[in-house]
Amino acid sequence: MALIEMKNITKDYHLGETVVHALRGIDLQIDKKEFVAVWGPSGSGKTTLLNLIGAIDDPTTGELTIAGKDVRVLTDDHKSEHRNETIGFIFQGFNLVPVLSALENVMLPMQIKGASHAEAKKQALMRLEEVGLSDLINNRPAKMSGGQQQRVSIARALVNNPSLVIADEPTANLDSETARMVIEIMRELNERDHITFIFSTHDQRLLDKVKRLVRLEDGKIINGN
Amino acid sequence: MEWIKLAFRNVLRNKRRSFITICAIGVGFASIGLYHGYIHYNYRGLRLIAICGEGLGHLRINKAGWQAKGKLEPEKYMFSKEETEKIMKLVEEEKEVRLTTPQIQVTGVVTNGAVSTIFIAEGIVPKDEKTIKEIWNASIKHSSNTYIGVKGQPLSDEKLYGVLMAKDLAGYLNLRPDNEGIVMAQTLNGRMNVMDIQINGIYNTGNDISNDKFMKFNFYFAQALLDTQSTERIVVVLKDWKDTERMRKVFLKKIRDAGIDCEIRTWNELSLSYSKMKSYLDTIFMFLSSIVLMIAVIGTINTMGMTIMERTKEIGTLRALGFKFRGVSVLFALEGAFLGFFGSILGIILHTCVWTLMKFYPLHYTPPGFSDPIAMRIDMVPQALFVLMLCFVLLSTVAAIIPARGAAKKNIVDALGHV
Repeated sequence: MALIEMKNITKDYHLGETVVHALRGIDLQIDKKEFVAVWGPSGSGKTTLLNLIGAIDDPTTGELTIAGKDVRVLTDDHKSEHRNETIGFIFQGFNLVPVLSALENVMLPMQIKGASHAEAKKQALMRLEEVGLSDLINNRPAKMSGGQQQRVSIARALVNNPSLVIADEPTANLDSETARMVIEIMRELNERDHITFIFSTHDQRLLDKVKRLVRLEDGKIINGN
Repeated sequence: MEWIKLAFRNVLRNKRRSFITICAIGVGFASIGLYHGYIHYNYRGLRLIAICGEGLGHLRINKAGWQAKGKLEPEKYMFSKEETEKIMKLVEEEKEVRLTTPQIQVTGVVTNGAVSTIFIAEGIVPKDEKTIKEIWNASIKHSSNTYIGVKGQPLSDEKLYGVLMAKDLAGYLNLRPDNEGIVMAQTLNGRMNVMDIQINGIYNTGNDISNDKFMKFNFYFAQALLDTQSTERIVVVLKDWKDTERMRKVFLKKIRDAGIDCEIRTWNELSLSYSKMKSYLDTIFMFLSSIVLMIAVIGTINTMGMTIMERTKEIGTLRALGFKFRGVSVLFALEGAFLGFFGSILGIILHTCVWTLMKFYPLHYTPPGFSDPIAMRIDMVPQALFVLMLCFVLLSTVAAIIPARGAAKKNIVDALGHV
């Protein structure tokens, strides 16, 4: 069974009296272990698509199943649990909690899940080691570079062992060298741990590394579905 | 525990803003606490004035029907000598009782030979008056407001005709200690009786209204003036005023079981000034507390509103990571609770500083109806401060939840896109 199944998905936004058709009849299927890039020009609907897959937004019409669950019928609390257990998020702006250290930021999803402090710490340390930040675990985000913050963000996305990681423009705020390192980490995790990655990007370096490209234009998939 | 730690760190995130909010709560807390301490002291003082100063005791036992018809047929509604002794014996059996004393009231005319005026005198037992004085002084040993002093000599068990006269009455009649006068009153069977008196001492009732007409007689002198052996009332002073209601029921049953029909009224039923003053101060307290609490709540809502506005993106992130709607509300509620808690701690510190200052350097003022200035005192009431702290923590928590619920309900995508 596919990890993500989208059938005839549409998403409309209302800006005053104007209706913006962000997605127009998307059919998409993504299997486990895939490393998928969603790309296209600005305003093509990349972020909207990722928001729907991440269950942080609802489609206007269509069918959407993620990891076997029809997310449209879930209550808000069940959606929260679903996101916490199934999906990891990597944000363009890192979105780390400034008052927490790197370690505490990574522990956060596990603590939301209700894991014990010791278990959360153990998993978080392991994930921070994987992204090469073992020596910065006590640093707060303000004392870390952009690349380091994004690596913390990756560790946080992985700490609950999700089946899917969604990354919205993960390298947009990074310099070339750091972007390359982040791409390598994501690729390695995909190959080694078989975690499905879906990300939006304009970054050609990242596009060169992916197995599958989904191109969007004006809210429609041009190719890659 | 983790969320408490997170909430605590968030409170420290914008130190200046949190400090201002904590100060606002602290000042509000101290204001309410100090005013409560002030009225608590006043209630204590007024209670003492009613029980000891006005001579009401905690309980006043009269023959049944005295309240309604006693003034019309006094003899019929007074206790005989035997009844008085029997009641006092029954009452004194209870361990809660400090003192029982018979009293009788006399009204009439007093003259210095040239000028006459009306008087109201309480016939009291001098040695019992001394005990009441000791109770008063023990109750407010930390205060400068000691028992209303007597200029001259107090009442005496030996010198029956020696009386105490309130200072304005003495001034009006130009009488001083050791001067002599004459009192006239109607006996219980309707004849006029006249007796010589000597002023033992002059005292201050503490009240402008009573200072120009009150006197104190030896109980047996008052009985002689009224030409009776009867007792109008038996006043009971308890060890603890909190036992008043309970002991009323105990005495009523005991005395009625002994075959004497009686009515018992408590000091707060008899003292109109206490009830009115308490009602007045309670109303002001409620009014001021409401305003101060409202200001503290609005301040907290404002602070939390700004905090939440700044952290909308963070709320979106937490929600995306799986934090539930309720979790966001709880997190901000904890932050509000911390503000309330720290504000209360500051409030306790401020309260204690002002309380200490007032203890050593009290302000003096003359309340309405009082004849002399009194020291402004504040009671330290830890239970009240604890309750106040709970109130502030609870209100700050609610004040934080209100804006937090709005933010938590926000669409996650919109929250993440918030700048």
